[in-house]
Amino acid sequence: MVNSRFTEYLVYIGNVALAILIGLALGALIIWLGGYDPVKAYTGLFETSFNPSDYYYFASTLSYATPVIFTGLTFAISSRAGIFNIGAEGQMYMGALGAVIVASMNLPSPLILPMALITGTLMGALWGLIAGLFRALRNVNEVVATIMLNWIAFWIIEYARNYGLGDPRRQEKTISMPIEGRLPLLVKNTELSMAFVIALVIAILVYIFMWRTKIGYYIRVLGAGVKTAKYAGIDPRIITLYVFIIGGALSGLGGALEICGRPPTYAITTAASNIAGFGFTGISVSLLGLNHPILIIPASVIIGGLLAGSRGMQIKAKVPLEMVMAVQGLIIIALSVPGFTFVYRRWRIKKALRGGESA
Amino acid sequence: MCVDNSLVLMKDIVKVFPDGTIALRGVNFDLCKGEIHGLLGENGAGKTTLMKILAGLLKPTRGEVIVKGRKVKFRSPADALRFGIGIVMQGLSLVPVFTAYENIVLGSRGTKPSREFVEKLMKEVGLIVPLDAVVENLSFGVRQKVEILKMLALNVDILILDEPTTNLSPSEIRELFKSLRKLREGGKSIVFITHKIREVLEVTDRVTVLRKGRVMGSVETSKTNPRELAKMMVGREVELLIEKPPWRPNGVALIVDELEVMGDLGVPAVKGVSFSVNYGEIFGVAGVEGNGQIELAEALAGIRKPLRGRIVMNGDDITKLDVSERYNRGLAYIPEDRKVALIMEFSVLENTPLTEISYNKELVNRMGFMKIKRIVEKSMGIIKQYGVVTPSIYAPARSLSGGNQQKLVVGRELMKDPRVIIAVQPTRGLDVAATEYVRNLLVKMRSSGKAVILISSDLDEILGLSDRFAVMYNGRFMGILEPDKVTDEELGLMMGGYTYEEIKARKV
Repeated sequence: MVNSRFTEYLVYIGNVALAILIGLALGALIIWLGGYDPVKAYTGLFETSFNPSDYYYFASTLSYATPVIFTGLTFAISSRAGIFNIGAEGQMYMGALGAVIVASMNLPSPLILPMALITGTLMGALWGLIAGLFRALRNVNEVVATIMLNWIAFWIIEYARNYGLGDPRRQEKTISMPIEGRLPLLVKNTELSMAFVIALVIAILVYIFMWRTKIGYYIRVLGAGVKTAKYAGIDPRIITLYVFIIGGALSGLGGALEICGRPPTYAITTAASNIAGFGFTGISVSLLGLNHPILIIPASVIIGGLLAGSRGMQIKAKVPLEMVMAVQGLIIIALSVPGFTFVYRRWRIKKALRGGESA
Repeated sequence: MCVDNSLVLMKDIVKVFPDGTIALRGVNFDLCKGEIHGLLGENGAGKTTLMKILAGLLKPTRGEVIVKGRKVKFRSPADALRFGIGIVMQGLSLVPVFTAYENIVLGSRGTKPSREFVEKLMKEVGLIVPLDAVVENLSFGVRQKVEILKMLALNVDILILDEPTTNLSPSEIRELFKSLRKLREGGKSIVFITHKIREVLEVTDRVTVLRKGRVMGSVETSKTNPRELAKMMVGREVELLIEKPPWRPNGVALIVDELEVMGDLGVPAVKGVSFSVNYGEIFGVAGVEGNGQIELAEALAGIRKPLRGRIVMNGDDITKLDVSERYNRGLAYIPEDRKVALIMEFSVLENTPLTEISYNKELVNRMGFMKIKRIVEKSMGIIKQYGVVTPSIYAPARSLSGGNQQKLVVGRELMKDPRVIIAVQPTRGLDVAATEYVRNLLVKMRSSGKAVILISSDLDEILGLSDRFAVMYNGRFMGILEPDKVTDEELGLMMGGYTYEEIKARKV
């Protein structure tokens, strides 16, 4: 059995490699059709993400990996419980907002950072809880609820930036986190801060939580089906709430860390442009990492590299931003496919096992 | 046999399923034009399998099917439809959010039948349904009619109904029977699959009785009676040879009082059941599947909240307690479906604490971490004591054979040292050795002073193991008896819907 599972993962890695190639090829086609040079574009992409001769770029890759580790974990936990929480986007917005609120409060300096992280975490948890309550108590589909809540969160931060939390000198962003509330950088003159280390620690903690604690066990039991959960003496509604609260808290913390640990702005910019999209990218990260907290880490680095490399594509090959985004999206989708089919196949097997044979 | 008006002739039909189950052992069946033909039998008799063959859903392993004088080999339901054969299965197959009309015309090939056509059809056959109503808002009785109309819209003249009265109220059943008679007048032929003797006597012209894949008889309804049908339907095949020390009931373990439980479809599935079980006793619940047994078990375990009634365990009212508190007080539940009892993707080890971790403080520390060491010990203990064959406790449950999966479930539940054990179909699908093993375990539990509630549709199992047993029919107990004081005929009658009192009072 061990052997067959090992082979399974080996095949998976092969599939990921293939997906990367297919994604790159499709992207190249688009770049070429747009009249640009794909070779130049991809050289730019790799030079500014995984460049072995300049650590600045790899640091940038890891700084992009940081937020999507959190949103990836949010999705992974929910998906282990058989729930499709795609609200990490909004939960991350609320977390970032929480940190900005603390930044605006003139707290004594040693308090700023911990308060910012705690407030962000709690606001993310609250945002998750709302969707959780809808699902647990009224059986509202979580996809609908979380998508709606994403938009509500978006407009709340836009409102906050315009009225009250905006930077009085610079219209296009909120108040910045004061120097005392910022996380130290891991590598000088890069965007990589302690936030990345926190993300790694949290991923490991989530792994321990899911596989070593009673609540984590319950969450995974719920993923096996409501019938089994009830048989085990578990109240599915309560576990559903846990899933949303914990997931929201993780994305909320991720959002707060963007404010406390991401140069240069340390703030939310217009239309949330510096944090938008991480929530959804987290879904891809989670699928690529097979919804496993530890595997999410390498997955986040691959996808972080894509995000970081987009600038290089723009600068080196003069590919316009819109096209860079399209290519990026294409490669991310291609990357999610093997993970999705892997998870889906297991789910199919599970379902086939459950839906018995009729005589 | 039919006189000059034979529509369907099935000759020497044998059906062996890929897993080796022999469902039909050489069955002959004939259907005449314009008759309602009852197909009577208990679970596993082969009724549905036989009709699935006729409707093109299954292929026979051997045997001949002749429809309207032509030898046929159906490869799909569409083939059968071309010969005018349509089946309405137990699980209603309508689209809940479509209207009745949309559902009726859904299966049609080519041009969709017009509204006028369907309205005319309804008048002709006397089945009137509100065509614009959305199906999920309709009662089960009306849905059944929609199903039949759907078949008629496909020009079906041989209609097969599989247990059509299951979720219907008595008045809806009367309505349905009226419709069936009208259809017969219009020249349709109907096969009516059921285990309900009363209904067979009420609505059919002829009846064929199946038992364990064999025809026990085919008679004209007017020339038979409930007792004769019951005798054909039920028979003890083998006396189970299980050594059982004498019955020594030792105090009341469980009292169930006027229990009423809702089924999944929003219709009560248990309709007022009362009984008590003693320590040192196996209390059996027999009956054809789907008569409320599962809902009863789930209510006892606390998974389903009862509508009414009381459950008292060991002197305490547990009606309002949740599942884990009942487990904590010594209740163990072995459900029918192993895919519910075990998480197939989880390892044997991870399946070990499933029903215990919610209440047993020894398995979890104060911080909420699982005590892996304790659980490993427990897991090893179960494997050793109950002879579960697995490469290791880290192997996923799905890699175990069915018998070993069941041993794991039973072992896990018994290791908790429960006082009251509810076992539902505990030997289904197991091989002979595993079956015997599980049965012996239950007897051992009973003899060591525990109360065992055995719910099974395997009559031999109930009669062989129980000290007392009840026969459940349509959500009620038809009687509570001792196995050696009951005849096959009485059993058959109770399973077919007559109470023990009625039988004894010679009202049947």
